[in-house]
Amino acid sequence: MNAPFFKYGLFGDETSLILAFVIGIAFGFFLERAGFGSGRKLAAQFYFTDLSVLKVMFTAIITAMTGVYLLARIGFLDLSLVYLVPTFVVPQIVGGLLLGVGFVIGGYCPGTSCVSAATGRIDGMVYLAGMLAGLFGFAEVYPSLETFLHSTSLGQITLPALFHVSYGLLVFAVVLMALAAFAAAEWAEKKTAGKLPDPNGSLTALPWRLTPVRRLAFGLAALGLAAALAGSPYRGARVTVDTRDLALRASHDATSLAPATLADWIIQGRNDFALVDVRSETDFASYHIPTAQNLPLASLNADFAPRNQTIILCSDDGTQAAQAWFLLQAQGFRSVYLLSGGLRAWRDQVLFPKPSAEAPAAAFEKQAQVAKYFGGAPQTTGASAAPAPALPKLAPPVLAAGPAGATQPPPKKKKEGC
Amino acid sequence: MIELTTTRHNPLIDPSLHVWEWQIPVYLFLGGLVAGLMIIAGIRLIVLRPSRREALVCCTIGPLLGLAALSLGMFALFLDLAHKLHVWRLYTTFEPTSPMSWGSWILLLVYPALLANALAHLPEAIPALARRFPVLVAISDFILARLRLVLAIGFANVALGVALGIYTGILLGALGARPLWNSALLGPLFLFSGLSAAAALLHGILVLSAPDEERPAFADFLLSSLARVSGARPLDPNAGPVLAGADNSFLTIELALLGLFLLGHLTSTAVHRQAAGLLLTGPYAAPFWVFVVGLGILIPLLLQTLELTHRIRHTLAPAVLVLFGGIALRVILVAAGQESHWFHALN
Repeated sequence: MNAPFFKYGLFGDETSLILAFVIGIAFGFFLERAGFGSGRKLAAQFYFTDLSVLKVMFTAIITAMTGVYLLARIGFLDLSLVYLVPTFVVPQIVGGLLLGVGFVIGGYCPGTSCVSAATGRIDGMVYLAGMLAGLFGFAEVYPSLETFLHSTSLGQITLPALFHVSYGLLVFAVVLMALAAFAAAEWAEKKTAGKLPDPNGSLTALPWRLTPVRRLAFGLAALGLAAALAGSPYRGARVTVDTRDLALRASHDATSLAPATLADWIIQGRNDFALVDVRSETDFASYHIPTAQNLPLASLNADFAPRNQTIILCSDDGTQAAQAWFLLQAQGFRSVYLLSGGLRAWRDQVLFPKPSAEAPAAAFEKQAQVAKYFGGAPQTTGASAAPAPALPKLAPPVLAAGPAGATQPPPKKKKEGC
Repeated sequence: MIELTTTRHNPLIDPSLHVWEWQIPVYLFLGGLVAGLMIIAGIRLIVLRPSRREALVCCTIGPLLGLAALSLGMFALFLDLAHKLHVWRLYTTFEPTSPMSWGSWILLLVYPALLANALAHLPEAIPALARRFPVLVAISDFILARLRLVLAIGFANVALGVALGIYTGILLGALGARPLWNSALLGPLFLFSGLSAAAALLHGILVLSAPDEERPAFADFLLSSLARVSGARPLDPNAGPVLAGADNSFLTIELALLGLFLLGHLTSTAVHRQAAGLLLTGPYAAPFWVFVVGLGILIPLLLQTLELTHRIRHTLAPAVLVLFGGIALRVILVAAGQESHWFHALN
């Protein structure tokens, strides 16, 4: 078993909704128990009189961070599959400021307002109603904001990649930062509210005894230090393969897809599969099947699609595609198919089909329609049905003259977020 | 594109699968709720001494709400009828093998039983009404003076309540053409769901009426003006924990019956397994587990347990959640049941 479970196809959408419910209820319960259903307590952090929110949230961050690092390091979690929100510098700064202003005015952030409303507080319900109204308003003006919202994009970046430091070192730095922030928070609370820290729940208060809180702090710091020394949590290119299992799957007939079926799928506009062309970039530029994305065999990595995505591989005669099939299977993809016969079969059967003696005329009529859709031409019967003219016809880029569907964007990525 | 044409493509050869809309689940929920209210009111009438019964939420407000809910439910049922003017024909015959026939006669008897239960203590609960209509006092005195009549009304309420609650489930369960419904366990399941909804409703009313400084001002204003108009006595908050405890038992039994219901399907034919799959992994899985089991049973169970152990105050939340879960159970079972079928080919 490997995490993330959803990406590895352990369960589907329905189960993930049920899990979302369970996690949401648990999240709400602990927020409520921490007192975060009260707007007064939440707003107090802006006056430095009660910094519980900072402590709880920073604790959550370093707990998750060390946990994710360790799970990835022992090989249970594939970190490359964990979704990262893309970074848009200016829009996200503006959004963050707006959220902060709303937080100070209303006393809640989105999650805690739900907790507050669920526990019967009227200010929480008003806040929730305002939030929903804001969502609708945002959706209404979204088209005019779209260019701004997509500006200054940095893509999916991480701090280790940005600063060129090792992942573990960053974990250690964040843990130390959190511990320093906790100590500073205690100092600030004492200064502004005159709150004397409870000797059992404090990091800095005298006398110096090893209280449970301090033990936890030392434990986290030790985990952080271990992370700093333990190397990268990413799996890289090394995998373990069960050769017998792989051989069984390779011998199975159901690993290939007929060109005609693929043509039907593209015409139907299905977007539940990814068509991957593993030839070189120049070959891809001269002709490719509509909706295909180009991933040359040499640069094939495992991060381009989730593990449970249906993938169809194609190359000229199918050899390169078959090699890619083994690579992807070894990396844990489960529904990988080959275009049977490769692009050669696609050309003969879909783009330039010939009528055969056995097949009825109606079937050929359908083939002819499909061929025209993809910019090909059916080869009509006749003595001069030499196969030679079929090849040059392929050379000019069919894409430009192709049907409207030829420039379809790649299948839409499933929406994800925090 | 149809590649194969068969006689099944002629219109109306295959039955159209979704013929029941919102009316039926609403009726099933209200019917179950009324059944629960009748049973609780009947038991209070049988068990408690008259002096302790007075002004109890269960014995007056319960039956009165039951009458209103039943009328609403019957109206929803009436809206669903294709031939509305033919209703009277149900009362020209009695078919012992037809759940519809049983139901229509039970519903006819439920009204007088509920009314008698409500009238027994109405003057004490709402004195203003009794002053306006002195005949109410006479009726109440007449009933309370005869111990056997009181017991008879109590037993009639319990018996008819059980019959009504079970019948709403059997109404679906007797329909073999829909494999998901085809289980006799639906009868007790709907009965206990109705009982939990009724206990939660009465508990919610008690919570609202209890003296409480933290209650929102508008609710206080509404309740106090209502009390001034009706001249009603304050409700007895001691019944709150009893109702919450009873509700917990009902919810636990309902959960067990749901488990048995699914187990029965899963150990039956492929058709029934497929039908149960609609709720376990299919398109109804998420709403079923979230709204019926999670929000409708488990969370109110937890909240009421915390209330009963004095960890948190009695709040309106469990009542709202249980009532909502009761509606969700009927809506989802009716919708999923209409989607379950015997044709594997149709999938």
